[in-house]
Amino acid sequence: MKKGNEMLTRKRYTYIGYLYILPWIIGFLVLQLAPLINSFWYSFTNFQLLGDPKFLGLDNYKKIFTNDPTFLQSLKVTSYYVLIAVPLKLGFALLIAIILNQNIKGINFFRTLYYIPSILGGSVAISVLWKYLFMNQGIVNNLLSVVGIPATDWLGDPRYALGTISLVTVWQFGSSMLLFLAGLKQIPVSQYEAARIDGAGRLRIFAQITIPELSPIILFNLIMQMINAFQDFTSAFVITQGGPLKSTYLYGLMLYDQGFKFFKMGYSSALSWILFVIILFFTSLTFRSSESWVHYGDSL
Amino acid sequence: MKKTLVLLLIALLAMGTVFAAGSKEAAKQDGPVTLRLSWWGGDSRHTPTLKAMEAYSAANPNVKLEGEYGGWDGYYQKIVTQIAGGTAADIIQIDQPWLAELASKGDVFAVIDNSMVDLSQFDADFLKNYCTYDGKLLGLPTGTNVNTFIVDDQMLTSFGIDPNTKWTWDNIITEGKKINQKDKSAYFSGASPDIMRYWFEIYIAQLAGAVVDNNKKVAFTEAQGTEAFTYFKRWFDEGIVAPFSQTSLFYQKFQENPSWINGKMATSWTWVSSMDKDIGARKMSTRQFPVMAGAKNTGVLMRPSQIMVVNSNSKNKAEAVKVLNYLFTDPQALELLGLARGIPATVIGRSTLAAMGAISTMAEKATNEGIAQAGLPQSTYQMNSEVIQVMQDVIDEFGFGKLTPAEASAKLIKNLNAILATL
Repeated sequence: MKKGNEMLTRKRYTYIGYLYILPWIIGFLVLQLAPLINSFWYSFTNFQLLGDPKFLGLDNYKKIFTNDPTFLQSLKVTSYYVLIAVPLKLGFALLIAIILNQNIKGINFFRTLYYIPSILGGSVAISVLWKYLFMNQGIVNNLLSVVGIPATDWLGDPRYALGTISLVTVWQFGSSMLLFLAGLKQIPVSQYEAARIDGAGRLRIFAQITIPELSPIILFNLIMQMINAFQDFTSAFVITQGGPLKSTYLYGLMLYDQGFKFFKMGYSSALSWILFVIILFFTSLTFRSSESWVHYGDSL
Repeated sequence: MKKTLVLLLIALLAMGTVFAAGSKEAAKQDGPVTLRLSWWGGDSRHTPTLKAMEAYSAANPNVKLEGEYGGWDGYYQKIVTQIAGGTAADIIQIDQPWLAELASKGDVFAVIDNSMVDLSQFDADFLKNYCTYDGKLLGLPTGTNVNTFIVDDQMLTSFGIDPNTKWTWDNIITEGKKINQKDKSAYFSGASPDIMRYWFEIYIAQLAGAVVDNNKKVAFTEAQGTEAFTYFKRWFDEGIVAPFSQTSLFYQKFQENPSWINGKMATSWTWVSSMDKDIGARKMSTRQFPVMAGAKNTGVLMRPSQIMVVNSNSKNKAEAVKVLNYLFTDPQALELLGLARGIPATVIGRSTLAAMGAISTMAEKATNEGIAQAGLPQSTYQMNSEVIQVMQDVIDEFGFGKLTPAEASAKLIKNLNAILATL
């Protein structure tokens, strides 16, 4: 009898628990799952936002792979972008985290300071600021001219635009940095002390203690940042609108153009599902590879 | 398993209440009417529009008007999404090319006839050419908007160019190149890549009538395309226009280019409706466009500044049309609105503003000269957003020097044909 009561109470608690997360569940079902399923269906139609969609079978997908040069261009740009922005961002975040891990007076102030770009980072205002920094007569060129370096079209030259845009992303290293910092704090000081006593140099300590100990966090950051980078949109949209010569035409921009500029929602949905598969592929590949380079402390 | 089921039930119930609440609100029809108006613009448009709406509500206490307004960026996307979701405003300000693009996809705008609004106030051809789709009048033009060529007289003079020059395609080059010859950072034209597309469309219109005609066909030959691109190559080669690497950042906003703002570029193509914004703090005047001998069509565009439509899904269409009638023909509204949407398209609108002395001589001159020079309306196909993108992409490649004039012409025709086949 007593046991039954306990079960009941536990059950009741479970329900109450679900009740608490109900807002999220509803949000997920209505705002995420339903559109997700919808977009899968739309990807086989010619849905145009207005009017009834007509079923096309695999036509959208066929066209994307055989007859859409923009798709290839955009895929190329996005790959470069991921390859440039993600490693740079993680490297930078780690570097700053290590610096901010020192025991210096007022370190909390600097930690806050370095996190600020991440709070501002995704916003349109920052993208606009970036545009004014890097345009032909912008501040960057003005500063460079002081040292005698001729003006460069950082955002107007197809060769440099993507790199310049990537800098916006790299600059928003705050959240990755914070995770690295938390990870660094977890590494037992005793390990460092032991290594030092054994005569290991700084680089060796970094490579053989810090990196392996941080590897789970590196994996997490790598995957999250990779997914974000594949889906990035704001900076390229606001600063260059995909130009010059589609050199910054990220996948997200193409999705937007097809869906909201040309109103080809069906085609745009198909493109989204392809991006989904691409991200899924690289994420699982990273997970697979992690077996050989990620060390979890408790499995030692 | 059971848990999941209960969970789903709860979720469904919750969703049910959400939707039920929605429909209950929609059913409420008696009593005071609330109408929503949406438009894009700047403060010079928002403030007078809100004032006119207030005045209407004061005279018609049963009608409450709500404004939904903001800038141009993303406005079209918002409107289309709202129309698709059934949440669009009752009265919507749209750009002229959208009328056909949206009306072709369904019954989205209410039909307007003479019993609702005194249509004799408008130019009949204007209504027929620009506000009608499939024989039905779907909106009312706010004002007459034309292309104009703005020039900085003082800058031209300081480079030894007569500011009163009557511009031809030839003297744009022979005179215009003097500027860049004297100052490597200064140019005759302020054109960004999108403005270069407009110039190209004008040139092709004069050579061949149109880029894409009403029969959904490419209207120019490869030779004519090559001729046009060869001409504009000289703009780049002889320093008439700044290289795209400097201007592409200002796509669709050439007026934000510091070179333009700081008076390093002397002239631009623009619309009369956005002329003031483009000129900013500079001092400029307006000129007519070059027209070649034997031109088939001047290519100078005239169209409504904007079109006001009534949402066919509106629950209070009759009331919405009454509001439109007020905004377009009531002297009080016209006075309050002033030039918020350019020189009005109605007879009474123009006479009211003229009596107030509100129409600036510059806007009047530019409009009159533009109307005098205006060519044929562009086909809806030429204004299609995908067709525009195809033109822009080829012009970008050409402007960045990736295509020779002959290659650009061939590629443009090929890509246009491909996209036209899907429309």
